[in-house]
Formats: sequence, C-alpha cells, structure tokens
Amino acid sequence: MTTLAKDSMEAVFEGWTSTVGKPTMDSDVRMSTRNVDVHYGDKQAIYGVDLDIGKNEVLAMIGPSGCGKSTFLRTLNRMNDTIDICRITGDIILDGDNIYDKHMDVVNLRARVGMVFQKPNPFPKSIYDNVAYGPKIHGLVTRRAELDEVVETALRKASIWDEVKDRLDQPATGLSGGQQQRLCIARTIAVSPEVILMDEPCSALDPIATARIEELIAELSENYTIAIVTHSMQQAARVSHRTAYFHLGRLIEVGKTDKIFTAPEHKLTEDYITGRFG
Amino acid sequence: MTSSSLLLLLILIAAISYFFGRKRSEVVAQSVGGVRYLHSLPNYYGLMAAVWAGIPGFVVLSLWVMFESTVIQGIVASSFPDSLKALSESQTNLLWSEINNLRSGVITNASDPALLTAAEQLTALEDRSSILKTILTLGLAGLTGAIGWKLIRPAQKARNQFEAFFRILLMLSSLIAIFTTVGIVFSVLFESVRFFREVPFFDFIFGTKWSPQIAVTADVPGSSGAFGAVPLFVGTLLIAFIALLIAVPIGLMSAVYLVEYASSKVRNVVKPLLEVLAGIPTVVYGFFAALTMAPQLKNFFEGIGVNGVSSESALAAGLVMGIMIIPFVSSLADDVISAVPNSLRDGSYGLGATRSETIKQVVFPAALPGIVGGILLAASRAIGETMIVVMAAGLAANLTANPLEAVTTVTVQIATLLVGDQEFDSAKTLSAFALGLMLFFTTLMLNVVALAVVKRFREQYD
Repeated sequence: MTTLAKDSMEAVFEGWTSTVGKPTMDSDVRMSTRNVDVHYGDKQAIYGVDLDIGKNEVLAMIGPSGCGKSTFLRTLNRMNDTIDICRITGDIILDGDNIYDKHMDVVNLRARVGMVFQKPNPFPKSIYDNVAYGPKIHGLVTRRAELDEVVETALRKASIWDEVKDRLDQPATGLSGGQQQRLCIARTIAVSPEVILMDEPCSALDPIATARIEELIAELSENYTIAIVTHSMQQAARVSHRTAYFHLGRLIEVGKTDKIFTAPEHKLTEDYITGRFG
Repeated sequence: MTSSSLLLLLILIAAISYFFGRKRSEVVAQSVGGVRYLHSLPNYYGLMAAVWAGIPGFVVLSLWVMFESTVIQGIVASSFPDSLKALSESQTNLLWSEINNLRSGVITNASDPALLTAAEQLTALEDRSSILKTILTLGLAGLTGAIGWKLIRPAQKARNQFEAFFRILLMLSSLIAIFTTVGIVFSVLFESVRFFREVPFFDFIFGTKWSPQIAVTADVPGSSGAFGAVPLFVGTLLIAFIALLIAVPIGLMSAVYLVEYASSKVRNVVKPLLEVLAGIPTVVYGFFAALTMAPQLKNFFEGIGVNGVSSESALAAGLVMGIMIIPFVSSLADDVISAVPNSLRDGSYGLGATRSETIKQVVFPAALPGIVGGILLAASRAIGETMIVVMAAGLAANLTANPLEAVTTVTVQIATLLVGDQEFDSAKTLSAFALGLMLFFTTLMLNVVALAVVKRFREQYD
C-alpha cells in the first residue's frame, strides 16, 4: 500500500472507534460474530467485526465495491476455506456452536447455512437432480417418494414449481436467468438450512426477475434467517429488516433499515446512501 | 549464379527496397504536409516496396528450379537417336545414369557415341539455363521493384495492400499442410489399389493368417504368402487397450489431483515433470519396455506359476505405452477440468458437498465430453505408436487375446516390411501400404469422433 493511500485511509477512519448503532441483539440471535478479522495473505480484508443476525431476520449488507461485505458473508459458512491464503480469526457462533471450532464439520455447517451466489450456477444436470443433489449427499431421504416430495416442496417454496413441474427431467441450463436463480434458491432450501446467505443474488438478473426474487425473500423470511449482500440500495431498503454498512473492511453502522436510509448517523453511511461515492 | 545465391540476393534486394520505400514515402509525405497525411504508416510503404521487389522474382525462381531439370531432360531426350528412344523405362533410367557418370568423369568411354553428344548437350543447356535464370530473376526483381517504387505516393493504400498480401501468405501456408496430407493419402491409396489387385480385399480384412513371405521363384512350397490383417489389428487393439487401461485412470486421477487438490506450488512443479514424460523419445521407452519391463514381467508371472510367458509380450509393450500416453490424457483432462466454471464448484460446496463428491457429481459430468475427447486422442496415438511395439511386442502374428503372448501390430509390420532395400512391386511390400491405409482410416475415424465430442463440450458453457 502506498503511503498516500494509507494516509487517506487513516484520515477516513480518524475518530472511528466502533460501529455506530447496535450490532448485537439481546434475544432471538441465530448467528453472531465477535471480533472477526480476515486476512488474505498479508492484506487485511475485515477488521474486528461484531454483528448479530436474528431469527427470521433479513439482514442486508451494503457498501462500496471492495468493502469486504462479500468476504464477510462467505466467512459465515466457511466458503473462504477453499482459498488457501485466507486466514480468519475471531468467533462466529451459530446457535451456540463456534463454526470455526476444530470439531465443526464443514459439511454439516453448510447444510445449516446455505448459500445463493451472484451468478445463477445450476449444475449441468436435470432440474430435478439439481434440487435432489443436496438431500442426496446429506442422506436426508431414503426413498424415492420422499425425495420427490422434498424436491416438490423446495420448488414450491422457491415459487418456481408451476413453471418447471412439467419438465423436471430437462437440463437446468435451459431455464432463463431468473428461473435458474430461483432454482438455485430451491436447491439451497432443499437441505432445510437455518440461515441462507445471498451474495448479490439479483445482480445478473433483469428487473422483473429481480422483483420475483425479492418477493421470494420476503416469503422465505418467515422460516429462515437471511443475510443478503447487495449493491442496490433500493433492494436493501425493500427486502431487509436491518442494514449493515461496510466500508474498507470495517462495519461502520448498523440499524433498522428504515432508520439507516432516512437518518444515518455516520458521515460515511450518509455519503454512501446519498450517492456521494460508491 | 546458383539458385541459393540468387535467393539470398533477392532477399537483399527486398531489404534494400524496404529501406528506400520507407524513405521515399517520407519524402513524398513532405509534399502533402508530413507523415500524418499519408494513407498508411511509412513502414507499410516500405513493406509493399519489398513485396514488389522480392515476390515476383521469387515466384519465377522457384518455378524455374522446379521445372528446370525436367525440361532440359526432355529436350535432350528428344534428340536421342531412334534406337535409344525405343528403350523401356528402366533401361532409359540406366542411360541417364550413364550420361551423368560421363559428365562427372566417373567413366570416360560411352557405350553409345550418342550418349557423349547427349552429355555435352546437357551441360550446354544447363549453363544456358543458369544464365537465363539469373537474368530473368534479377531483371524481374528490378522491374517490379521499380514499379513498386513508382507506386509510392500519399494516396497509396499500402496498409490495406500489405494486409491483403499477408492474408494470402497465411492462406498458402495452411494450404501446404492440407496438400501434403492429400498427397500422402493419395500415394498410399494408389499403392493399396495395386496391392488389392493381387490380394482380394476381403481376404485382406477378414483373413486370420498373416505371413507375408513370398518366395522368389514360384516352385518353392509355401511361397504364396498369406495377407490376413486380422491378427495385426487384434494385436494393435490389444496393446492399445492395455495402454489405455493404464493411462486413462492414472492420467485422469493425476489431472484431478493437480486441478482440485494440489496447491499452486505443487502444481507448478508436478505438471512440467509429468509433461517431461511426453518428451522422452519413444525409442527410449522401447528399450525400457524390451530390456526392463518384459523380463521383469516374465519373472513375475513365472514366479506365481504361470507358464508359457513370452519374453516379448503384449503386456510389456502395453504397460510402457500406457505410461507414455499418461501426459496426453492428463494434460487434456487438466484443461477441460480447469475449464469447468468455479461457480459450479462453489454451488456444490455451498450445499455441503465434500471435494470428492463435488468432483464425482458435478465437475466430472460437466467435463466428461472433453475427457472422452482426450481419451480418444490418446487412443489414436496408442494405435499409431511404432517404436515401443517394434522393440517389445515381437513379430509373431499370433491371433490371441492373451496379453502374455507375443503379438505384433500393424505399425510393426509396416516397419519390418519396408526396412532395407525392397522392390516396390511385390505383394509383400505393397501390403504395407494397404495396412497403412487402414491404420490411417482407423485413427482418422477416432480423431473425427474425438473432435466432434470435444466440439459439443465447447458449446456447453457458451
């Protein structure tokens, strides 16, 4: 890092001591992180984040590109494990279990914390097999009839059942982008997770498909905890209960979504929301 | 002047033309207000001047060299006395070698005085041809060079012209490869037709006995020979099958390891090392198979009580060939496995699949068409391989599926049929061409299938 960049970064954080707002919750906590640092090699990407995510809550994470919100999201189900140079310290607790504990089985964890990605990524298999993939590898079902039921339920919950029920055996890659993304959500739901992480799930979709996904998020929040990273502030305002604003690896401000978007307390949050940078 | 010095001179002329063409374009640019008002950069004017000066002369020179000796021989032959003209083809060939010997002074007294005249005529004609060639080439180079020089003016579209020239040059280069292939196919095809005139086609492809010995005189017993290609193709397929049995699993697994498991440090070391295998000359593999592998196998199988193990076995050749083609399988599989988008892997990991589950159920099915293509390419390589089997598999044309016996392959037979001085008019030597044709056909089919499969794979992520 050049001296200039370092100076300007320190200037940004001059007087920054801790997150504005209330990142922790008193009850109904599903996941909580305490003092989480993430390093990629020598470069630090996340600085001491404390954040709770409540049961049946939709938490939106916003911030300019490179602010670490996707990195933070991916630490929540240990997707960063696949990156060799990534190092994570601090505690991340899911229902009382530290997910970075030696005894935590990452296979189990990812069944409990599912993930939907930025670009729809259906497997090059049939629609049915895409949804059946998770239940099969986790051994959730024993009979074909049960599997059929799990697949149908997941597709219904992802509100795509009516569109695909007549062509379950056809390749998933033939679906439109929006349908593919809802299929990926169905695939995630099929293993009955507690938390669903969504990494900019609508960034590759057109406005109509986006609207359907947003409706779906609202429905899903009745049963699941959802953490969503988004670049669209309108989307964050529409779908989330609480919003967290990240800036250069630090959690700047957390609060009720309507408060963050109407009366942000921190200068950086205000600048971002009013479009002064980002 | 000799043709090679003429060629060098032409290159020099072209280089000088480039230099002056460039200069001239800069000079003519003055009149229109500078280089920026030229149609093209000065470089292109220079290149076009070089093309004008060099290429026509080069074309004439190469045509001259190609047809020179044929034309001169034709002229000399037309002045032969009638007694010599009436001779057969092989006798005429003898005449020509005598003429050449006379000219080089190896012999001094000719069998026919007409030959002495012919030799003198030939020398005179060649001298004249040489002078004519020099004048024509250099004259043309000067003329077209001057034209090229004259053409240089600000409006000349030198860049477009040079692009067009370059396109033609590229096209001709690709045509050379195609014409060579076509030429090879036709030469093999014509010789095969001659073979099939002597041996019926169906006796060849369905016959089960291979013994291509034909005695010099017809009254020796067993002189007829047998040309059944089945044992050869069975031997080829047996060895190729053993080779693939080794290469496919090892190659695929090493590719999976390198792409999915190995850290970049390991990968950077192991991958080049694996590719060294592809760089070992096949002859070296051959004596490894014959001198190390085959005796070891014989000892091993005799040790566990299997008798009748041949010291040259299909197994030894197949094993070593398998090791040789591991890099083909692994580097092709490496490419297609790496081409599977990471988003698919993330999707699978995100659902809680382990690495091996992800590889088995997501990565492999997605990469399968490409992998199949790679395997087929490796198979055609195994079928066409010669040196290892020559040294390790033996020459006995046994029709057997037992990998411990000696078998022979199509390529081995072709090599042994054509080694040494042979006359190309007996069924024995001609059969090599028929074998070659069938082998070519087999590998061509495999390649076509492989390319079709690979093509379908490419369309999948577009």
